[in-house]
Amino acid sequence: MSEMWLNMGPQHPMTHGLWNLRVKIDGEMILDCDPEMGYLHRGIEKISEDRHYNEVITLMDRCCYVAGLAWEHLYILAAEQALHVTPPERADYIRAMCDEFQRIASHLMWYAAFVQDLGLMSPFLYGMRDRDLVLDLFQSFTGARMTYEYQRVGGVRSDLPAGFTDRARKVLDWLDERYVEYDRLCLGSTIFRERCDDLGKLTARDCIATGVTGPMLRSAGLKRDLRKDRPYSIYKQLDFDVAVADAADVTARYLVRMEEMRQSSRMLRQILDWLDHHPGPVLADRLPRWLGAPYAPQGREGYLLKRNYPKGLGFSSVEEPHGEAQAYVVNEGGEHPYRVKFRSPVFANISAARHYLVGYHVADIPPIMGSVDVCVGEVDR
Amino acid sequence: MGGATLFSVSDTLASVLLNGLGSIFPQPIHGWLTNPDLILGLAVLIFGAILLAASMINTIVLIWWERKLLGRFMDRRGAMHVGYAGLLQNFADGLKLFRKNTFRPRESDSLGFYAGPVAYMVTSLIIFGILPISSGWNSGALPLSLLLALAIFSFAPLFIFVSAWSSNNKYSLMGGMRSAAQMIAYEVPLLLAVVAVVVVSGSFDLATIVQEQQNYWFWGPLFLALVVFVAGMLAEMERIPFDLPEAEAELVEGWNTEYGGMLFAFFMLADYLRALVGSILVVLLFLGGWTMPGWVPSAATSFPLAGIVWFMVKTYAVFGLFVWIRASLPRVRTDQLLRIGWNRMIPLSLASVFLAAALVLVRCLPVFGCLPSPGV
Repeated sequence: MSEMWLNMGPQHPMTHGLWNLRVKIDGEMILDCDPEMGYLHRGIEKISEDRHYNEVITLMDRCCYVAGLAWEHLYILAAEQALHVTPPERADYIRAMCDEFQRIASHLMWYAAFVQDLGLMSPFLYGMRDRDLVLDLFQSFTGARMTYEYQRVGGVRSDLPAGFTDRARKVLDWLDERYVEYDRLCLGSTIFRERCDDLGKLTARDCIATGVTGPMLRSAGLKRDLRKDRPYSIYKQLDFDVAVADAADVTARYLVRMEEMRQSSRMLRQILDWLDHHPGPVLADRLPRWLGAPYAPQGREGYLLKRNYPKGLGFSSVEEPHGEAQAYVVNEGGEHPYRVKFRSPVFANISAARHYLVGYHVADIPPIMGSVDVCVGEVDR
Repeated sequence: MGGATLFSVSDTLASVLLNGLGSIFPQPIHGWLTNPDLILGLAVLIFGAILLAASMINTIVLIWWERKLLGRFMDRRGAMHVGYAGLLQNFADGLKLFRKNTFRPRESDSLGFYAGPVAYMVTSLIIFGILPISSGWNSGALPLSLLLALAIFSFAPLFIFVSAWSSNNKYSLMGGMRSAAQMIAYEVPLLLAVVAVVVVSGSFDLATIVQEQQNYWFWGPLFLALVVFVAGMLAEMERIPFDLPEAEAELVEGWNTEYGGMLFAFFMLADYLRALVGSILVVLLFLGGWTMPGWVPSAATSFPLAGIVWFMVKTYAVFGLFVWIRASLPRVRTDQLLRIGWNRMIPLSLASVFLAAALVLVRCLPVFGCLPSPGV
């Protein structure tokens, strides 16, 4: 067979979203590839300029549909910095809890999609089944399973319901047993190892050169995790290890994500213990009144008029389940943010496709792209 | 020996027809109607219709069986709503496909596009005419029925490749190429594993092979051949560890990407027909067919429904094993698949042939007892 360009996408089972991977193939070998993004562009950054600060949160849930709360946290951190608002400590802990649960839910979703790409059918449903338990927890305090709209500038919308921490611990216990099962199904399978070892190699040097972050970077042996290196929120108080692997291949990425889920469980137990013993307010007492009328807390009138309110810049970077996400919010004193800009980790991870796809087989594309953990919502924004 | 001791359903039908028609019609028509050749032809036609219906219904129940089993393996229930425990779900699905418009890509080749699925389906159906299901259900005593069945079974890659190529789609083409490469690579170990059975039983006739297993089944002494045969069958049926030709993650739907409606249903049905044939062959060659330890078919059970039921139970159990494998294994890569086929399976199958030959020489094993004396 002569060389040909093959469009994998925008409608293709491998993409897990809406993007196009153009690959140049000779028989089954990949000679070149060219990822094309932009099919899911909704102009979230531009729309944000026309919304109240709290209304942007709705868009954050749509940025990444498997890690909505992590993206809310990212934006909120930047917006609070720009608006000079400090949340109560309990709200910070709840947000960190959301982050870690979201990481587990996102990684479970990744696990399900990844093994499905390899042709493993049952673990796909096991992953989805266990993710549902985490979504149940989200539903119990946010009211939604996917688009939560839970965090607010200055705190979170509402406190956790009674008995939540016990239920959450039960879910964590269940999940900790399941991780062993997952490992047995994947790492214990010879076919899995044959397919994933030495596949999709991306060295630490290439990672740095192409801006690849998150589990992909850590799987190359580089111990970089924003929660440790530049701790935001309450991560300084938590005791956890950064998951690292050396092989820089698909198996290594699997190992890193599995270990991250275990570390998240460990963190969550500490957070839940703290939440048990420290009741308190979850929304700042004093908030600018014009922050967004639909969500303004009752009885907490603003203390500053709009025209007197100081301007500000907000920047935040968060270790999102897929990598390092960054947000930049400019407060020029108006009701709406003057400018909002995000950095999507998956955008960089996909853009480096040429570095980890070329030289492998067509059949390797699904597991490699699966190990990247693509979430197109945040790529195109 | 061969099929001489067996008696075929067609003959039974013919005698039933002969007696029945003879008593109804007056003399001139009677004389013409009771022409034995005509009656036999009629009987074969009726038998063919019964076979078609039986194989189709079994195939559809097989799909149901797979959906239910897969559901259980995946911690869910499978089809539940149409019919009792979802038994009619596949009929509903079939009806839906039947009502769909069949379309063809403009640039595709009309003849290949339409002929491919039909030929694939037809060749899969023909095999059922050869397979004996019980001592009474045997469409004809063919001394080489095993070879014929496997020969027709191996037609498939040709038709798959034709329909894939004529689809004029890159994914279809790649799927077709993979399919052809895979089926040819696995044909060899499959046939060598069959040779082991032939060596031990001394016959190419499926019915005789089953009869030879009256005392004990071949899966024990020929375990290696069974493993090779099952693995080869998985590749021939394109089921999950070896389902590369339609690997949906990278090739969308492989060689049948461009097919929709009833043509797609043809492919789907033919796939499961082949899965059924594969399971039946495993039962016939290694699990003793309709024989049951301590049960000898007598004249009283000349149309033994018990044998058929017992046979189908085994067939569904074997297919259950295939489903189990599908539920728990990932898919291998093309080059790995071919490497497994040529480097591992062929030596293994050769070893199994030598093992079978040694078995015939030794005749008796302390564990499995003595082999029956070879056939003619």
